[in-house]
Amino acid sequence: MNVGDTLVLKKSDVTMFFASIAHDMRLVAPKRRFGGDVIFDVVESPKEIAWDYGHDVYPPKRFLLPHYEDMFRYQANGDVRIEDLGEAPKQAIVGIRSCDVMAIRFQEKFFASQIVDPYYKARSDNTVLFSLVCNKPPKKECFCICCDSGPYLDAGFDVEMTDLGDEYLYRIGSEKGLKATEPGAFMLEPAKPEAFAQRKRIELQADSLFRTEAYFAKAIMFISTNDVPDKVWEELGSTCFRCAACTNLCPVCTCYTVDDRPEGEGAFVRCRSWDSCQFAGFTREASDHNPRPTFGSRVQRRFYHKASYQYIMRDGTHGCVGCGRCVSACLTKLDVPSVLKRIRRSMPEYLEPRKTPAGEV
Amino acid sequence: MELTAARPRKMWGVTDHPSMNLYVPMVAIIDDIVDETPDTKTFRLRFEDEEYARSFSWEPGQFVEVTVFGAGEAPIGFASNPLEKSFFELTVVDRGKVTRAMHKLSIGDKVGVRGPLGNCWPLDEVRGRDLVIISGGCGLAPLRPAILKVLEDRESYNDLCLLYGARTPADRNFKYDLELWSKRQDMRLLETVDVPDDTWNRNVGVVTTLFEKVELDVSNAVVFTCGPPIMIKFATISLLKMGFAEDRIVMSLERYMKCGVGKCGHCCVNHVYVCTEGPVFTYKDLLALPEASL
Repeated sequence: MNVGDTLVLKKSDVTMFFASIAHDMRLVAPKRRFGGDVIFDVVESPKEIAWDYGHDVYPPKRFLLPHYEDMFRYQANGDVRIEDLGEAPKQAIVGIRSCDVMAIRFQEKFFASQIVDPYYKARSDNTVLFSLVCNKPPKKECFCICCDSGPYLDAGFDVEMTDLGDEYLYRIGSEKGLKATEPGAFMLEPAKPEAFAQRKRIELQADSLFRTEAYFAKAIMFISTNDVPDKVWEELGSTCFRCAACTNLCPVCTCYTVDDRPEGEGAFVRCRSWDSCQFAGFTREASDHNPRPTFGSRVQRRFYHKASYQYIMRDGTHGCVGCGRCVSACLTKLDVPSVLKRIRRSMPEYLEPRKTPAGEV
Repeated sequence: MELTAARPRKMWGVTDHPSMNLYVPMVAIIDDIVDETPDTKTFRLRFEDEEYARSFSWEPGQFVEVTVFGAGEAPIGFASNPLEKSFFELTVVDRGKVTRAMHKLSIGDKVGVRGPLGNCWPLDEVRGRDLVIISGGCGLAPLRPAILKVLEDRESYNDLCLLYGARTPADRNFKYDLELWSKRQDMRLLETVDVPDDTWNRNVGVVTTLFEKVELDVSNAVVFTCGPPIMIKFATISLLKMGFAEDRIVMSLERYMKCGVGKCGHCCVNHVYVCTEGPVFTYKDLLALPEASL
């Protein structure tokens, strides 16, 4: 068995297969809650995995970048003692969608670029991703096809599973995936040519079913050159509720804030928690000077980070994987496809000549 | 050759990695506290770990993240002479939650320090040139190491001129240094205040009014500036009018910061992280970044 191998796992064996993997690590998988909502959570037994789930509301990024993460503890009274707290359980995220896999890959690159974030690195080193191909769009808002991050992957997964009816096509994409497979390897069989043909059919079918109107290219050009008129940003920003659902549900967003939490008896824990660029306090300085004072400037910020040539050069890709969560969550249509559309169409409306000559950013 | 901000020799987490975890600070002890103005104090610090203290070095323009235990962490620029190895000084204005708590500390108390962070003033690159330093209020703090370093190596630089503005005479930082510098023959010091008191016999008005009183060699001079955003903005406009090239105006930016290592996302100016790629930028660098709002 090697990296790059394609095998088959019978559906009747799936529970046993993941039970064998669970000896070594915890399983994080889609779990059906009261009322039918599916969210990623730690499962005690692979029987709990909701394999037929559509789309989870909440991205599994919290298992790599928790909402609240304790960084270290210190004693403030008397002698200062600093203890490192970083914990990184071995875990397999099973059934994760392609878009969320690409989002985690994005975050891994970001947290390891230039300066390595020790907490994220420890967690991602201990995490194996078993992605599940979307044979059809889990929900109507999905636009991963516009972001090259789904509905199936060509690279980036540790293991990718495709539902072929009675069995899963099981592709091993990395050394980590290979190693995690070992305990259950005896349950895997070589894939027959029909399985490959079926996978190809699923790819073609899936490609045709997802929405494709969130095309980025022209919007990226306007955002990168700052040619989008301020009044368009202000118009967009004027509808924002500042709920930060967009950034909290975004599987790519990484920004965090840091707080010192009292633990009693002079002990404190420095913890970091998710923050959002959509809050005015995100950039407000102690002197009350705020470099991003308006709602429009903060919406502009979000889209500059998601879709500007400058960030693409930094991160290697744009900061959106097309999971569609902001589309479902935003009450005022400040989601990626809607805003990109508004930007693409802002030019003819204002008929201003482009400020930047072609070819120069 | 185009002038850009200088890359530092040492940077926490990049070249300098004392512990595996770059979020955990090193403990430092407060050796001395000097009252600068009614709301500003200068803290003299040394690391508790003597071995770490010996290996610690930094360059003018860089900063540290200071942990006030129990209150949190804040970015503060170095304010002392970088050639002084046994201690370093931080000048802190009582503004936010952490700095308020820091002002309540006394000599012998401990704080946490992560650094040095950020890039530095291009002092090596501007050797042989005239140096014009424009500063307002507590903006003198990050420039003081640059001035002290230049004064130690005075013959490498041509003319040195410091233009300093403060709100009132009482709000002037480093009064003891200003006193010494005003007596030196090898540098010019021009001061101004917005609101004078009875004893003030120097200029009154904003810092840009000093430009009329000083002759600058536009072709040879380089400007370092730090101060309130509004001061930097108007100083830059005046300097450009005087004919300064865009890359000859070097400034230190201030942004809200948490991590100091380019991960938390707070300090971004467009796609540039002020904590790792700044805080020192040339005006030309910032022209490409509309969010710098200059």
